[in-house]
Amino acid sequence: MNRYSKSEKAQIFAMLTPNLILFILLSVYPVLWCFRYIFFQYGGLASGEPIFIGLDNFRRLFTNDPVFFKALKNTFVYAAGKVGLVIPLSFFSAMMLNRKNVKGIGFLRATLFMPTIMSAAVMGLVFYLLFNVYNGEINKILMSLGMKLPVNWLGKDKAMLTVILIGIWGGLGNYMIYFLAGLQGIPQELYESADLDGVNSLQRTWYITLPMLGPVLKMILMLAIVIAFQDITSIMVLTEGGPVNATMTIFLYAYQFFFPISPGSIVTTQFGYGAAVSLVSSLVVGAVTVIYLILSKKLDNLE
Amino acid sequence: MQTKKMFSRIPDVISWGIILILLVLTVYPVFYALLGSLKTNAELTLGGSILPKVPQWSNYKKAFIDANFFRYAINSVVISFFTMLISVITSSLTGYVLARHDFFGKKFMISLYGAMMFISIGSVALYPIKLFLQRFGLDNTLLALVLVLTGSQITNVFLVMGFVKGVPKELDEAAKLDGCSIFAIYYRIILPLIRPILGVIALFTFRNTWNDYITTLIMTMSNKSLTTLTVAVVQLKYSVFAAAEWHIMLAGASLAIIPVLILYIFTNKQFISGLTAGAVKG
Repeated sequence: MNRYSKSEKAQIFAMLTPNLILFILLSVYPVLWCFRYIFFQYGGLASGEPIFIGLDNFRRLFTNDPVFFKALKNTFVYAAGKVGLVIPLSFFSAMMLNRKNVKGIGFLRATLFMPTIMSAAVMGLVFYLLFNVYNGEINKILMSLGMKLPVNWLGKDKAMLTVILIGIWGGLGNYMIYFLAGLQGIPQELYESADLDGVNSLQRTWYITLPMLGPVLKMILMLAIVIAFQDITSIMVLTEGGPVNATMTIFLYAYQFFFPISPGSIVTTQFGYGAAVSLVSSLVVGAVTVIYLILSKKLDNLE
Repeated sequence: MQTKKMFSRIPDVISWGIILILLVLTVYPVFYALLGSLKTNAELTLGGSILPKVPQWSNYKKAFIDANFFRYAINSVVISFFTMLISVITSSLTGYVLARHDFFGKKFMISLYGAMMFISIGSVALYPIKLFLQRFGLDNTLLALVLVLTGSQITNVFLVMGFVKGVPKELDEAAKLDGCSIFAIYYRIILPLIRPILGVIALFTFRNTWNDYITTLIMTMSNKSLTTLTVAVVQLKYSVFAAAEWHIMLAGASLAIIPVLILYIFTNKQFISGLTAGAVKG
């Protein structure tokens, strides 16, 4: 510590400051704010002073809030649906596009990756038009192929499916690139010696690629799960959590206690309760991550 | 032998068929938006050919002038540029110091940064931030918007830190002997050497800022003149004329998409390699 002169110490401090201020103000302070208000009933300046109510927010959350549990269930359905489909599809795409010196392969990768650079919100709007019941292009195509009635893609029954499909559209290229990076880390000699043994391509995948990809696969899966839990932008634009909370997820549910989901919607601001919901939501993600890590470690030990 | 070879080809054909389908599904919504932006509203809603009958360039004129998108486009450029600049500066300064220097509380700082990566209360955080800015009369300012969009840069700080650790320490020491101050070492030695990772950070920050919806929406709620293209386009969904304005919506969506697409055409290699360079979240 002593090897720094006064001027050097000042420089170190000055160089850390800009980011540190942003960190404290934008990351730490909001969390502390939330921690404070979970014990209060508070509706904003217009509705008077915050009232201390102890753990009542949590009591309400766990015993008297069916919407939260619906949102919790939806979040799991969404995450399972999205991750369950996007991971096999992106792995498959990576396997197919993991070739060197083939003309056009770079172009194919870049094309599949393209949705990653698109705004989830803007594309949410485009999908909103595409999936429109009467005027949307998708129903027009399906009906020209012989379907009798238009599908209500954004209705109560299909909205979750639609939102999952759009999540897959946005995530496929991203995970494909992670898989490609993992595949390129597998030593080529393994495949060469397998080829000498006359192994077919399915066996190659099962006995060499998948085990060698293990650690990368685990990392990708965890990332995919955590991200899926927190996807709210496209849902917000597409369905606003509706109809009748059919696509309401926990983070969107917390959000609507603070801000209107759409300009017309009426918010009954409940900051205390909203803070409790968001804290529990973040704990849910944390718990899922921990359980996932423990499970994947257990699986390792079994092998 | 001949027939056996033919049979072994079948899985290949199916596999490439699936890839082809994925490719079509991937580009279709984007083409729909770009081509639809040149159609009339009737063509869009009643159905018609894939290509516009007569390209309606006036859709763009309407979006630019009537919907005020020219203003929002400029906002998008300015906000994305400054957010990118400040992100690169702040994350590289902190990343460098954490990689190379000791100070009181360093270990605590690193673990706090690491811990905050895993605590996400989501967009709810914007409420206390907004209240705080209001108290100082800073809400509804460009500066506040850019700083909130910059955020705490935790991943980027760690990214720079890792990258600086890969630079040989002898370079710093030689520069120090030549009389360089700590800041001068950062500015003259480290910055030029970590340019690749700074490029990645700049690219991803630009994309994130340009595409951001929720943060910008909330921060510009009471000052619409600061808002960006992305937010303004999506807000069209809630306009009273929404049903009659599909062509304007798609023209707006295209305006928001095209700059990123052009950027992507030139930098897709950097985007793709940058993604794996350090788990920059996508």
